[in-house]
Amino acid sequence: MLKGRLKFIIAISAIFISVGYLIFTGVSESGVYYLKIVELKEGVPSTYKQKVRVSGTVVEGSIISEVSGKLKFAITDGSDFINVKYSGIVPDIFRDGVEAVVEGSYNPDNSFDADLLLAKCPTKYESTDSIQRAEKTY
Amino acid sequence: MSEAGTISILLAFAVCVYGAVASIVGAKTKNRDLIKSSENTAIAICVLLLIATLSLLHGLVNLDFSLKYVALNTSTDLPMIYRFTALWAGQAGSLLLWCLILSIYVAIVVYQNSRARKLMTPYVNATLFSVLIFFLILIAFVESPFEKLAFKAEEGRGLNPILQNAYMAIHPVTLYIGYVGLTIPFAFAMGALLSGRLNDDWIKLCRKWILFSWTFLTIGLLLGARWAYLELGWGGYWAWDPVENAAFMPWLTCTAFLHSIMIQEKRGMLKRWNMVLVTITFFLSIFGTFITRSGIISSVHSFAQSNIGPFFVAFIALILLFSFAMIFYRFDDLKTEARFDSIISRESAFIFNNLLFLGAAFTVFLGTIFPILTEALMGQKVLVGPPYFNRVNVPIGLVLIFLMGVGPLVSWRKASKKNLINNFMYPVILGLSTSVVLVVLGMREVTAIISYSLCAFALTTVFSEFIKGTNVRASRGENYFKAFLKLVSRNKRRYGGYVVHIGVAIIVIGITSSSVFIDTKEATLNPGESFNIGSYTITYEAIHQYSNDAKNGTRADLVLYKNSDRIGYLHPEKNIYKYEGNREINQETEVALRSTFKDDLYIILSNFNEEGTATFRAFLNPMVSWIWAGGIVVLFGAIITMWPTPQLRPQQSFAKYGLGSKDEAVKVQ
Repeated sequence: MLKGRLKFIIAISAIFISVGYLIFTGVSESGVYYLKIVELKEGVPSTYKQKVRVSGTVVEGSIISEVSGKLKFAITDGSDFINVKYSGIVPDIFRDGVEAVVEGSYNPDNSFDADLLLAKCPTKYESTDSIQRAEKTY
Repeated sequence: MSEAGTISILLAFAVCVYGAVASIVGAKTKNRDLIKSSENTAIAICVLLLIATLSLLHGLVNLDFSLKYVALNTSTDLPMIYRFTALWAGQAGSLLLWCLILSIYVAIVVYQNSRARKLMTPYVNATLFSVLIFFLILIAFVESPFEKLAFKAEEGRGLNPILQNAYMAIHPVTLYIGYVGLTIPFAFAMGALLSGRLNDDWIKLCRKWILFSWTFLTIGLLLGARWAYLELGWGGYWAWDPVENAAFMPWLTCTAFLHSIMIQEKRGMLKRWNMVLVTITFFLSIFGTFITRSGIISSVHSFAQSNIGPFFVAFIALILLFSFAMIFYRFDDLKTEARFDSIISRESAFIFNNLLFLGAAFTVFLGTIFPILTEALMGQKVLVGPPYFNRVNVPIGLVLIFLMGVGPLVSWRKASKKNLINNFMYPVILGLSTSVVLVVLGMREVTAIISYSLCAFALTTVFSEFIKGTNVRASRGENYFKAFLKLVSRNKRRYGGYVVHIGVAIIVIGITSSSVFIDTKEATLNPGESFNIGSYTITYEAIHQYSNDAKNGTRADLVLYKNSDRIGYLHPEKNIYKYEGNREINQETEVALRSTFKDDLYIILSNFNEEGTATFRAFLNPMVSWIWAGGIVVLFGAIITMWPTPQLRPQQSFAKYGLGSKDEAVKVQ
């Protein structure tokens, strides 16, 4: 009986240890700092070599899109900005003024090589700002 | 009309509060009339919410832009079908739909319970009413779907074009039907705890609800994956986004729960565990709604950021405190009736299945809240992406497939050597030979080889169960077809479950193939040029612009060849919607897809210029269709398990009209 229990304890601990191990290695290998532009710049030079995720608003008129799919644009937090280079799938809602999230590495010349680009809607989804008054046309 | 809606919601709230109070007081004072009266409120609430929903639909269909919800989610150019589906396009409407679905369930459960009242019945009803009260507070006082604008809008904002898709129209409802259904087993569990009737009655009474919710969650997840695949244009169907995880976590724990209740029914074990599991599952369904609806975790899906967050936090805290306090209070009464005899037994296969499902749910939970957790603990947001989720969940998934093969054939209590050899010889041989064949054929991807072999193993055990069972019946003189049909119809839960396992194995084969052997290529071409991917050659012929009422489209003509045989045209598109409300989409990508059971060729038009030069990105995704096909098999299996038994068998009816009490009659079944 005791031997049977021991087997269970061993098997269950094996599950716990392996799941724990998977979580630990998963986090340490794929964990990415999510920084604001200010934090990215304050963290220099240790942020140069790291893989980081940064978000900011796409600067109006900064998007240069080549037909080959290469994309350059700048993102800002209002006071500071970085120049992003990206090649890959561009989300449908990406354009001037949206909040863009980029993941990749930051270089000393203020450029950012992104290998992931996500975009979020600029206005809150349910904001009433863009609703026009009916009276206007009368 | 909208006033009718507002009033109905307020009345539903008041009636629901009465229903909850009357059930509890009725149960405590053993007042039958009060209990009956509380049961009647369920129908009233359901009717009131139906009126509210209809009046919102009336507003949506007739484009009543004086209502904020209508102005935000529709526009004059919106096709009629999407005016209906706009009911669940925004927050307030989704919450109203949530309440309506829950109230329908509550009415059904209360009616079923009232036909054979038990000690726990009023407590089950009180729990159901209490959950409904929470959601009614949200739509009555916080996020009213009938909120009026200060002025009547001239035109609505319109429905996001990526939501104007048949899959998106049905996927959220399917998920809700599943999500909301998880309330029912939770209510029965609380009813059992509150009343102290802790045998497995509560499980028997809500078993079909668990299956029902699980089925809709599964189908909802698959429909969501298919929508993402067809509409989002990045070539994949699952990205471990918080919104996807939100629905996946309760699915994981619900799957664990579906299995562990069998142990309680069969052996009287795991009573505490099941209480904990049903609570966690319900918690995760509310938590999932909370993270998708409160905007607390940034997601690619931009949902509303609104003020319902704190309400959810309070509600979640209340649920957890209350249910764990109740479990603790009844801890001694939830003692197990049997002990584990051997590590090689069906019970222990189920235990490991449960631990792994719960482990997977925990890792997904941790990954989803990781940014919040790290910000709170270290003041720095750290994010974990798809590599984390895959790294952790793929091994867990593979062990689960192994257990899926072991579970059905290993005997209860203690498996003998003879049992193991008899049952597992062929499946093991088939699994191993799958590995050998794949390696000989040149496959070197270890994960894929293991996954295919385990699927072969699991499928063989399931098929051997069907064959053995049919043979036993056939040896008694039935023909094989009839023997097979009788085998399944006499034991729907078991064989329906096996069909679900077959579907799951098919899905896993599809996921393995499409994630391990994906090929992608990007090419910038002038008209007349070609590029290759796999055995396909794609020639770029021309690009046109066209225009209709809704959009300005750009459409590329690609000719597709396979091994130099001409197959036909593919037309990826990039569209700009004319209507201002849809301008949040810059350019909508329309994927060109050629799908077969062998592979999917998936092409998007990334970019183009005036000279006609265009860039295409192509994905060759092997066997993606297996995922959708497997989903249909799962659905079919789930329907078998839930199919009602048409008439009582002789021994049952005997017991029913015998001298035994109702509870004994249940046992005979």
